[in-house]
This record gives sequence, C-alpha cells and structure tokens, in this order.
Amino acid sequence: MNIFLHELRSFRKSVIIWTLSLIALTVVFFALFPALTKDISETKNLILGFPEAIRNGMGLVLDHFGTILGYYAFPINFVILVGAIQAMNMGTSVVSKEVRDKTADFLLTKPVTRIKILTGKILAVLASLVLTNGIYLFVATLMARFVSKEPFSFKLFFMISISLFFVQLIFMSLGILLSVIIPKIKSAVPISLGTVFFFYFINFLCTTASDDVLRYLTPFKYFDPTYIVEHGSYEPVFILISIAIILVSITASYLIYERKDVHAV
Amino acid sequence: MNVIEISNLTKSYGKSRGIIDVSFEVSQGEIFGFIGPNGAGKSTTIRTLLGLIHGSSGSAKIFGKDVHEFGPEIRKEIGYLPSEVFYYDGMKVIDLLKYSASFYKKNCNARINYLAGIMDLDLTKKIDDLSYGNKKKVGIVQGLLHEPKLIILDEPTSGLDPLMQQKFFDLLKEENKKGATILFSSHILGEVQRLCDRVAIIKEGRIIKLEKISTLKENNYKKFKLETKSILNKSFFELPGVSKIEINGNTIDFLFKGNLNIIMKKLSEIELTNIWIHEPDLEEIFMHYYAKEV
Repeated sequence: MNIFLHELRSFRKSVIIWTLSLIALTVVFFALFPALTKDISETKNLILGFPEAIRNGMGLVLDHFGTILGYYAFPINFVILVGAIQAMNMGTSVVSKEVRDKTADFLLTKPVTRIKILTGKILAVLASLVLTNGIYLFVATLMARFVSKEPFSFKLFFMISISLFFVQLIFMSLGILLSVIIPKIKSAVPISLGTVFFFYFINFLCTTASDDVLRYLTPFKYFDPTYIVEHGSYEPVFILISIAIILVSITASYLIYERKDVHAV
Repeated sequence: MNVIEISNLTKSYGKSRGIIDVSFEVSQGEIFGFIGPNGAGKSTTIRTLLGLIHGSSGSAKIFGKDVHEFGPEIRKEIGYLPSEVFYYDGMKVIDLLKYSASFYKKNCNARINYLAGIMDLDLTKKIDDLSYGNKKKVGIVQGLLHEPKLIILDEPTSGLDPLMQQKFFDLLKEENKKGATILFSSHILGEVQRLCDRVAIIKEGRIIKLEKISTLKENNYKKFKLETKSILNKSFFELPGVSKIEINGNTIDFLFKGNLNIIMKKLSEIELTNIWIHEPDLEEIFMHYYAKEV
C-alpha cells in the first residue's frame, strides 16, 4: 500500500498533464463537428481527396461521418494515440526510473518482495489510467452532447471511449515488459514514442477488410469504432488477443523482475 | 550464533570476474571489517547478502536463513547504507524517512528525531537541495531508523567530515553495544582498524585473509630505527627475521619479525644513541601483505 501511494504521488504531475492534453484534444475535435458536418457532402469530397490509407489510419469513415458516433472514430483515433504514449511512458518508467534515479537500492533492500513492489507500481499506473479515462469520458460525453443535434446511444459512445483504456493497458504492459528487460533506460520517452508510433504507422498500412492480417499486428486496429457502432460489440478475437498480450507481458515482467540482478551504479 | 554465513559464494558476470569462492562468517555482536581495493568484490558480496543480485553458486545466509528464500523477512532486521546514496528527488527528508519507516511496521518517529539530532540533519529540507554529505546523513538515519540487528555499511564514510565521521562511529558503537552486528566494508584501513574486531581482506574476487585485527598486528613485524655512534656494516644485522635493512650513515632502519629477545641481545652489543620501535599500522601490514601477493 505504501508503495502504491508513493508511486501514485510521483505520477501526479504526469497524470495532470496527460489528462489535460487529452481534454484539449477532445474539446478541439468535438468543436469541429458542427462545422465539418454543416455541409456534409462538401466535407465528404474533401475527405475523399485523401488517400485511402490515410483515411483508414485516421478513422475517417465516410458512411457515418454525419452522425456523432460515426464522427467519433476520427477524434478517438488521436485520443488513443496520445493515451497510448501516456500509458507506455508510465509503464516503461515504472521500473526504469528506479534504475535511472538510482533509487533501486533503497527500495529493494526494504523488507518487501519484488512481487509486491511491482504490484504496487502497476496498480499505481492502473489507478492513474483509470483516473485519466474517467475524466476523459466525462469531458468527451459532455462535448458530444453539446455538439450533437440528435440524441445518440451512450452505450456505444461509452464502448468507443473505453477502447482508450484497453489500448492503454496493452501499451502499459509492453512498457513494463521492456523496462524489466532493458538493463538501463535513460529516458522512457524515446522508447514509448518509438514503439507507439511504430504500431501507429502499421495502422496506416491496414485496409478496411476485416480479414486483413496486418490488423492483428497493431493494437490501434483492435477496437474498430465502425464495427462497434454497427454491431454494438467488440470483435471477440481482438479482445482475446488483447488479454493475451497483457497477461503474457505482465507475467513475463514479474518472472524477469523477480530474478533480475540489480547492479551497483 | 552466526549472523552472516557465506560459503563458497561465487558470482560471475559472464566476461567480468565478480567474486570467486567467498566464504566467511560473522558472529552475533561482532564488528566485522571487509577490506580490499576498489573493484575487488566487496559490493558484489554485500549486494548478494541484500538479495539485490543472485549468486551463481554457493550460499549466503543471514540469521541462519537463505538470503533469497527469506529475503523480505531477513531484511526487516537489516539496515543498509550504500556508498553512494540516491533518493527520490522532490521529496522532503522527513517524507523520505517516513516512507522508509513505513516498510518496517513500527513507529520510528522518535528514533528519526533522535538520529537526525545526533547527525545534525535538517528534516524539513528537500532532498534535491542537500549537499553530498547531508545526503549521506539521510542515508545513515534511513539505515538505522528501524534499529536493525544487522547493519551493513558499504564504504559509508565518504563525504562525511571528520567530526560527523566520529559521531557516526560513536553511533555505530552504541548500536553494537545494544547487540547489533555490523559488517563494515571499506578500502580505508584506518577506519576499519578503529572500529572492527575482525577483518576479511578481499582481492580480485577472493578472500585472501581472514584475521582478528589484533592478531593481524601481533603476527607482524616491528619497525626498528636506530642511531649509532659508529657506522655499522650491513652484515651485522643479518639475522633470521630481519628484513629491509637500510643504512644511512649513522641511522639504520629495518623490519623485524620473530623473538624480540634475540634482536634485543644483538642490539645490546652496539653503542646506541637513539632507538625507535614502531608498531606498524594496518595500512602498512596490508600493503606488505598485499605486495607479497602480487
């Protein structure tokens, strides 16, 4: 518990900054909605001017662009990108900051198991992410209500919004795994930015076809807003893949961290 | 009872050495010195005891329990002060100490204030703003605040001024009187000599000597310096046990190891104007011993 609280406190600043950026992003994107949908055919023409890959990658889906839920695929795409960087940053810094700031000696010579240490740290990241998502969801719902002339399904809106959390969990787990594998990480940012953008670019290579193999390679394609709107559910196979990635990464992280040698600085 | 038992502990780092076949015991209430040059394997041994690194073979036990199997339980009773202390920036000294205390499930507030008083440490300052020496003091308070039964110190005195060093040593002696066992690692022989009962000397990953400080000094040579009336020939001193004879006009220096009566009888044959007989300090013994090994 003390580790959890200590870590949570150390994330305070970072949670505030990331949440504020997500809020700013959301407010700007939703504020664009009335203008973009005022003359829907003109907007569609404009969008058609982009190559298909870009449209797919950015969540610009023409069929539903006029409705708030269809439009939401566009902003959520960027929200998830930013959220993924946040989650991976936090995940990566969980263990690496102890090494970088040379505080590992302090913590690991205390009478606690490494399992408890890692658990406290992961829970602190989870709590931070839950907080970010809660605030994001609140602001996004408010904005959507505000700009949409027609009523919309909150269930679907919630399902799309919360895919932010799922993608964050995936990147958090990857971050934690990397931070226990790589001996010394000077800064979490290059690693998280690199990894997140790598997967984000794969996202641009995907086509809309649901059987595209590339879709399996990038978490950015696991929770397709169009599918959610059309089916009212997530795609089961991708739920399973997400759970598998998270479980394997976290389990491996525990095993590696437990056996890891912590060297003098 | 042995507080620390290390037997045949080896740690190899692939290409670099680590430690080889290290064995020693430290019994309850002892102040045990662990000396050797930088990079000899002192920290590797200590970090294994603390469960920070895993030995490749051999075993290490504290309070009779394996350091990895019972790590958290053992560490309840260990206080550790590393050679360089690093703490979470942005925290106040008192917050860091309270965080540290929160791991031990007992109220350490009185103890924190007591130790901070002795070490002259301002608890309200931010850790980032502290000088190296003051950070070290935080480390000392942090290491002793839960009244550990075993205190492990890895080159603890760097950064402390002589006055603070004295206070720190007094503190250690006080803890020792209360029953704490101390493992004191250092490359400064003077401080080990001041504090410790026994020493292990480690070199290139191996323990090369394990001895009581008193024996280490007893078993060794004495330094003689003479001033004579007449100039003597070197061959006069060629006795078993005499070495390093240096004659500079009327002054003669040599080392002697053996029965003192023999050398005193020999000296009575000559006309002395002055004589000095020195006990060598540990530093000289160490260098002497060390030189032989190279």
